[in-house]
Amino acid sequence: MISDVSFAGGAMTPFNRRKDGSSFRDWARRATRDALTDAGLQASDIDSLIVASESDFFTLQLNPAALLADECGLTGVAAKRVEGGGASGHLAVHAAVADVASGMARRVLVLGVEPSASHLRGADVGALYSLSFDAWTDGMTGVDSTSLYALSAQAFMARTGATVDDFAAVAVRNRAHARANANAHLQLDITAQDVAASPVVASPYRRLDCSPLSDGAAAIILARTADLPARSGRARFRAAASATDTVRLGERHDPGFFAGKQRAAQLAYAMAGVTAADIGVAEVYDSYSGAQLQALQALGLANSRALAAERDGYFAADGMVPVNLSGGLLGQGAPVGATGVAQILAAALQLEGRYFGRQAQNQPRFALVDTHGGIATSNAVSILEAP
Amino acid sequence: MKHHLGLDYTIPVGDLAPYFEALQAGNALASACGKCGHVAFPARAQCGACGATDLRWKPLTGRAQILFRTDAASSSYALVKFDGADSSSTVGLCNPEQKTSSGRLAVPIGDAAGLWLTLTDNKGEEDER
Repeated sequence: MISDVSFAGGAMTPFNRRKDGSSFRDWARRATRDALTDAGLQASDIDSLIVASESDFFTLQLNPAALLADECGLTGVAAKRVEGGGASGHLAVHAAVADVASGMARRVLVLGVEPSASHLRGADVGALYSLSFDAWTDGMTGVDSTSLYALSAQAFMARTGATVDDFAAVAVRNRAHARANANAHLQLDITAQDVAASPVVASPYRRLDCSPLSDGAAAIILARTADLPARSGRARFRAAASATDTVRLGERHDPGFFAGKQRAAQLAYAMAGVTAADIGVAEVYDSYSGAQLQALQALGLANSRALAAERDGYFAADGMVPVNLSGGLLGQGAPVGATGVAQILAAALQLEGRYFGRQAQNQPRFALVDTHGGIATSNAVSILEAP
Repeated sequence: MKHHLGLDYTIPVGDLAPYFEALQAGNALASACGKCGHVAFPARAQCGACGATDLRWKPLTGRAQILFRTDAASSSYALVKFDGADSSSTVGLCNPEQKTSSGRLAVPIGDAAGLWLTLTDNKGEEDER
């Protein structure tokens, strides 16, 4: 169990496709400044910066941690960059948890940032993403993320009986949650019919089943409670666990089941000394609508009866375990390096009762955050506890 | 600010060279584990099932059955099982207009090293590429 790693504060910029001429350096500065303000700290209080950014090809900036330390008024701190595909932001948070828990650092600022939308054409981003899998095999065919997720989803559907209607329900609900989130990319008022009428991207996935490419930044600060200004009601980390699966979908026993995520979740429950039944709110990696259901199944929520629970409203905003009240990737958006940091931010603020979007009404004691890279290849799960 | 970045990579493939050389000739060369017998295609340099490094090369027929298939506007991909392999493989479909469920390994287009499948009719005959 993690004994004393507290959420000091955090902030995020809006996630969207920037058309205002601002740069990722601007977003990073803003998120850092607002996180420091939220935590009641000064830049000089930070002794370690961990940057999450998926690809140098997005930023066109190698060694971004040192650059962003300089840009954000943190020159002199220890600075490093963590990368783990879609899980980069969450894995950076895990690195910060380890630094604080071990005493390697007192106050760590985690800064996730990615210009996933505005720097390159969508086709070029897609070509880069195809290298997120086994670049020597999958990547060389030019296969895109959506196609690989679609193949995994089909395997999931074949085994569980999930349908495109189930997927559409997730796509609609997460966008509805996003409407309460001023930082969300896609605050859409849509119906299942709209999802069904949107263009096919890779069957069974249609455009509205897919999360967007987004720009943005998010920052959080972690520290031991004694190293923070006095205030009541800090969320604390209870678990930070990660696990991998085979990179190639075809080498998995069941290509529709996220076994690496299940392993990460089981490790996290054990680390926190809780069970899935103790989780009261969750931010889950929904890069695609069906992937949310696959994730919920692997995480063991609703007694591992995710599909039936989904149909019963268990994961709705007024359900037993509200999922993705932020809107998730489908609604809030996905600037890759910032995604996991923003998920943690949302969970911590939910537990502290001061979330800027739709607040959970069930007064959760524990929140689960789930992020992955690849097709649930690199998996990160955290469990936070309410004050 | 505008910037163009053009990069040409030359990537040595190391221990997997026989697999990639066979692929360029349109042949399926799997790796077979000397310890547990697991046959992997695409080939691996270390067994994915037991971790052993005692591998030998095993030619496959190149014929495959489709497990799952996804179609987009400009491309189609499938998860397939090559005859003789224990693992399945992600392939690009050369002739997606064909709706049959089996096919044969194709020579990669250009210098690309990925797996491509030409779908065949029920008699096992290939359409024109």
